[in-house]
Amino acid sequence: MNPRLLIAAAIVVLLGLGGAVRVYFALENQAYHPPVRSLGVESGFPREQALKDIAKDREAKAKAKKYEAPTYRTLPFVSSRVAVWVVAQLHLMFAAFVLAVPMFAFIIELIGYFNGDKRYDRLAYEFTKLLSTSFSFTASFGGFLTFLLIMLYPAFTNYLMEIFSWTFFPYVALFFAEAGFLYSYYYGWGKFHPVVHLLLGLGVNVVGTLIMFIADSWASFMMTPGGVSDAGALIDPWAALDNFTWMPINIHRFIGNIAFGGSVAAAYAAWKFLGAKTDEERAHYDWMGYMGNFVAISAFLPLPFAGYYLAREIYGYNQALGIMMMGGAFSWLFIIQAVLIGNLFLAANYYLWLGMGRIEGTQSYQRYVKYLLAAIAVCFAVWATPRSILASVSEIKAMGGTLHPALGVLGVMSAKNTAVNILILTTYVSFLFYRRTGKRPTVAWAALGNAVQFLIFFGVSGFVIALGVYGYFVDAATRIGLSIPQVLSVLIGMVTMTVIDAFMLRGAEQTGETHWGKLPAISQYVLIFIAVTFTWLMGLMGYVRSGLRQHWHVYGVMRDQSVDAFTPTLGFATQVISVIVIIFFAFIAFVFWLSSLHDKPDWGSAGQGPRGSHGPGGGRH
Amino acid sequence: MKMPVALNVVLLVVGSSLFYTYVGQLVPQKQLLPPAEVAIAADLTTDQMVKVGFEVVQQKGLCLTCHTIGKSGTLRYPDLAGVGDRAKTRKAGMDDIHYLAESLYHPDAFVVPGFKGGMPTINKPPIGLTDKEILCVIAWLQSLGGTPSVTMQTTLPDQAQG
Amino acid sequence: MTLFELPVLLGIVVAMALLRLVRASLLVWVLAWWIGIYVFVSRGFATPVPASAQHIYLGIVTLALFAYVTSSGERIRSFVDPLVNFAGDGRYTLALVPVLLALPALAAYREYVNAKVPVEPPFFARTVHPSPPTEITVHDQKIDMLGGDNPLRHLEKDDPAKFAEHVARGKDIYYEQCFFCHADALGGDGMYAHGLNPAPANFIDQGVLPSFQETFFFWRIAKGGPGMPDEGAPGDSAMPEWERFLSNEQMWEVVLFLYDHTGYRPRAREVHAEGH
Repeated sequence: MNPRLLIAAAIVVLLGLGGAVRVYFALENQAYHPPVRSLGVESGFPREQALKDIAKDREAKAKAKKYEAPTYRTLPFVSSRVAVWVVAQLHLMFAAFVLAVPMFAFIIELIGYFNGDKRYDRLAYEFTKLLSTSFSFTASFGGFLTFLLIMLYPAFTNYLMEIFSWTFFPYVALFFAEAGFLYSYYYGWGKFHPVVHLLLGLGVNVVGTLIMFIADSWASFMMTPGGVSDAGALIDPWAALDNFTWMPINIHRFIGNIAFGGSVAAAYAAWKFLGAKTDEERAHYDWMGYMGNFVAISAFLPLPFAGYYLAREIYGYNQALGIMMMGGAFSWLFIIQAVLIGNLFLAANYYLWLGMGRIEGTQSYQRYVKYLLAAIAVCFAVWATPRSILASVSEIKAMGGTLHPALGVLGVMSAKNTAVNILILTTYVSFLFYRRTGKRPTVAWAALGNAVQFLIFFGVSGFVIALGVYGYFVDAATRIGLSIPQVLSVLIGMVTMTVIDAFMLRGAEQTGETHWGKLPAISQYVLIFIAVTFTWLMGLMGYVRSGLRQHWHVYGVMRDQSVDAFTPTLGFATQVISVIVIIFFAFIAFVFWLSSLHDKPDWGSAGQGPRGSHGPGGGRH
Repeated sequence: MKMPVALNVVLLVVGSSLFYTYVGQLVPQKQLLPPAEVAIAADLTTDQMVKVGFEVVQQKGLCLTCHTIGKSGTLRYPDLAGVGDRAKTRKAGMDDIHYLAESLYHPDAFVVPGFKGGMPTINKPPIGLTDKEILCVIAWLQSLGGTPSVTMQTTLPDQAQG
Repeated sequence: MTLFELPVLLGIVVAMALLRLVRASLLVWVLAWWIGIYVFVSRGFATPVPASAQHIYLGIVTLALFAYVTSSGERIRSFVDPLVNFAGDGRYTLALVPVLLALPALAAYREYVNAKVPVEPPFFARTVHPSPPTEITVHDQKIDMLGGDNPLRHLEKDDPAKFAEHVARGKDIYYEQCFFCHADALGGDGMYAHGLNPAPANFIDQGVLPSFQETFFFWRIAKGGPGMPDEGAPGDSAMPEWERFLSNEQMWEVVLFLYDHTGYRPRAREVHAEGH
């Protein structure tokens, strides 16, 4: 650190403090002061007597005050809802990160164990380094959230205790187990037999997932309570835990966490890449970012379907709740979601196209980029088309309603499902092109294989689109059922194309070397953009899941009687989400910085190179 | 070199968040207030009940989140236009008031052919209309294609005692 | 019904094809695509696309084009180089000035257009032909809307001469009272029609007379705009309540005239009046 900078900072802080003190005294001067009087004048003004009487009265009242258990308390400056919202979301984001990173650290370590490539082991360790600080942040935010709930919503918190207190001991026990597994996994890296270490990694994941399952039951109970009487009394503890949306949320969060954790880990790699000084470091962090992003996007692809499952269960629990979500006040939220997801798909594909730059001899696939891009843009546009378009009165008159004759057909589920499936397929094709760049198949049936892959791709696209169009001519129940063959055909198409590709590229001729780290810096900013978008998307979907209850603490059981019972505007919600995202990234930056301390040379030994054996560009252990 | 990267990243994070916030400002801004508890006087005329009933239908009852009035084509939920007339003959041996009351107190007792059931019970939370409010809603439903005949004094089998 | 403005679409396609012939640079192509899609969404549809949807589409197009241009070093260069040349090369200074002036002018024009939106009343999705009550009372006479019929209709078979007499009287009443708004030729475009919103009913339209029974029009004539149910926006229609001016028989006669003059037949009564 530059000493001059330190001195400047100290001066700035001092000046700031001085200013604050001055402002305080200036304000103090504005307060009421009794007029200054000569001491000789007898004080017998009625005002003073009245003040004394008031003080006495107040004291008497204070002494006689009875204790009443409060239903709500408030904070100064911040509304209770926003306070709980921000802290809960931050807790959730860190928890997601802490749950997800061991998952793919474990998988990457497992891959490394089987193929013997040391790079994988090092990558897994690098991911794990982010964990310990994040684990304490998760716990701190969790504690903060609990305090806030007890403080601001005592009656409601008490009610949740009534229903769920039996889950607390297992939860605490699991938390201890998680700490044990996590820290022994991290500190025991390279100290045990690989299999033992892998088992520790498995332990982290299993215990972490169980912790999430328990916490999910509390949150999902608030939205779709079960196991309680009409008046809210607990009848069946297990039914309260295993309520309508418990499993769907478990699955949705499990997959979502992996995607989120992968994207944040990729952002970490991007950050290190941008600050890297040597080609070797750049190569390593490029590869790490690629792996993180690969994990994120692979987990992201099935996420919409887990989302449909969750939405279906919400409809199943209470149709009014489902309609409120998709057709009522929250329907516009899904247009914002479409913008986010469209951006994610665009950015993910874009990253793959940029990645072709790593490999020599990419020209053959570069020319397809524009067609892939066109497909993505069209699907994005279809997905972002609202069912009833915002329009001025004259525009509505011209359309004869809020439904546009041509665009109206794009606003419905059939079109959107089709668009999502085509987006997934396109992203897969981008990945396939990326994989094949720099390789030339040598097997005799290469031309036939290409043709078959081509046929599968167009066959599946055609089938998905045909089903989408068919959806307009059948009733709602059949239409919803059509999404299953759509998804299945895309999945089958992707699997068969992968299998053909794997066989076709066996022993393929290498036409170009892969140069990790040789790609434009903008690609790394794209990774960070993807992480921000994922985080923001998580905040948005967290809001809709929780906000859907509207003026209920526990939907249909316990009403929110506080001043925060209203549902805010979407504009306000997006502002809060942005604040949360920025706070989260500030904390994550701190986590990144902490983990980079590891590689910093010891104080006083500047210039001697990194300490320890795990530094980037340093030795391998 | 180090400084610009950090600055770029901060700008990127804040900028993308701001962009999404901006998108959030473009959509319709609607704040949903919890339904106000309005006491309904016991001496409303039937005409007044129709008006009160329509308010309940639009606000506290949330009826129009699913139901439409005068919409044709393929529908997910029964359309309410003309229901005041249909209710008279929907169920044999049941007059319109009792049919409408049954469809509010026990929605799944009779499901209109061609639709799936699943309407929430209206006098229970989360909707939780009071008996008086339900009488007004029935008056409004009768006014759709029929002549309201329900009064505040009408007694229904499912009303809470007292 | 055509959904698209075919000449506009053709124009865009032809322009793109021409661009292909002259081997334009990436910069030109990107601009061409952006403008082409802009023209397509703003002018290419038979029913104009609302501004909010246009914004969404153009935002996506902008993002996609940005992604394409920056997706490889070559593309960035072929996009940026012409711009740098244009701005830096002394030969283009003269051309640069109008461009530099045009850019803020364009932004200002956009602001101007956005600010110039006329004040409009809030939109109400009015039902043009709301469903009638089951029964109405006109001049102390109860009229069954579903089962009832025009009391003069039976004369068409029973006593054609008398029927023609009623129709002729209906015609007189129409041209004394109705034609100011509903027009000479029953087209709903009478001399006062342009001042009215919602517009007077057009009886030539196939969707009006044949779609309803005679009782429906009797109801609309007798009870007028104020007698509409809420979904018909009772305050908006200027149709008077004719029961204040005409007898029941006179109103039935007008209904007879409407059908007789246009040649339409009333909608056949359904055996079982059912909703949807």
